[in-house]
Amino acid sequence: MTSPDSPIDTEVETTPDAGDPAPPSAAVIEDGADAAAEAGTGDGVGLLEREGDIAADYLEVLLDIADLDGDIDIDVEADRAAVSIIGDGLDRLIGPGGVTLDALQELTRLAVYRETGVRSRLMLDVGGHRARRREELARIGKDAAARVVDSGEPERLAPMTPFERKVVHDAVADIDGVITESEGEEPERRIVIRPA
Amino acid sequence: MLEEALDHLVRGIVDHPDDVSVDLRERRNGRVLEVRVHPDDLGKVIGRAGRTAKALRSVMTALGGRGVRVDLVD
Repeated sequence: MTSPDSPIDTEVETTPDAGDPAPPSAAVIEDGADAAAEAGTGDGVGLLEREGDIAADYLEVLLDIADLDGDIDIDVEADRAAVSIIGDGLDRLIGPGGVTLDALQELTRLAVYRETGVRSRLMLDVGGHRARRREELARIGKDAAARVVDSGEPERLAPMTPFERKVVHDAVADIDGVITESEGEEPERRIVIRPA
Repeated sequence: MLEEALDHLVRGIVDHPDDVSVDLRERRNGRVLEVRVHPDDLGKVIGRAGRTAKALRSVMTALGGRGVRVDLVD
């Protein structure tokens, strides 16, 4: 699908033999390439690392107060800070359909914003919930695409959040014979997979 | 634990953290967490279309069960 040239790609390629610190995030750039283009990255990784640190402090104290065991992992994935609370017995922080996780992510973004003055697009995960959901969404997209290739008929998927839709768009992007679009208004916006 | 957790969550997102207070009141129909913030921070704690207040409620329900209410006192 849409894979606009990432400014980060070109930066990486201009330093083939200059010490090459090989940022670990370089490998996963395509994962968030169009989101990166939307947000116009360029603030560099420094801000995102700081976002992760602020978020970790905020969440660590909460876990402490609530007497929940969890390790906090901070990463920068392509163009955003990614913070994960890892551990068992954290279902309470995920909630039905991930509502509590989304709420916690919202509050964490606000806590980061208060410190940095920059709106954060930080992703929070708890107990691998989003990672599992991502795999599930990719499978839903690929299965539907296979049906569309077979039948030649377009297929509409269930409404999804922007992030969920992006996962599906990406998963279907390299399947020949189909294209993906989104239609409708939030929160009913959904993906349509059509024969190409 | 609940008031301490809510106090922390709110303090982290406002401009006047020292003006945040949370009181837990036991009512016949359940527990109520009363949140007070600096008047300038009220909008922050409510959020656009009540989004932030909803997020605070969601997390507190997760930690304390269905019988927990969060009241923003202005």
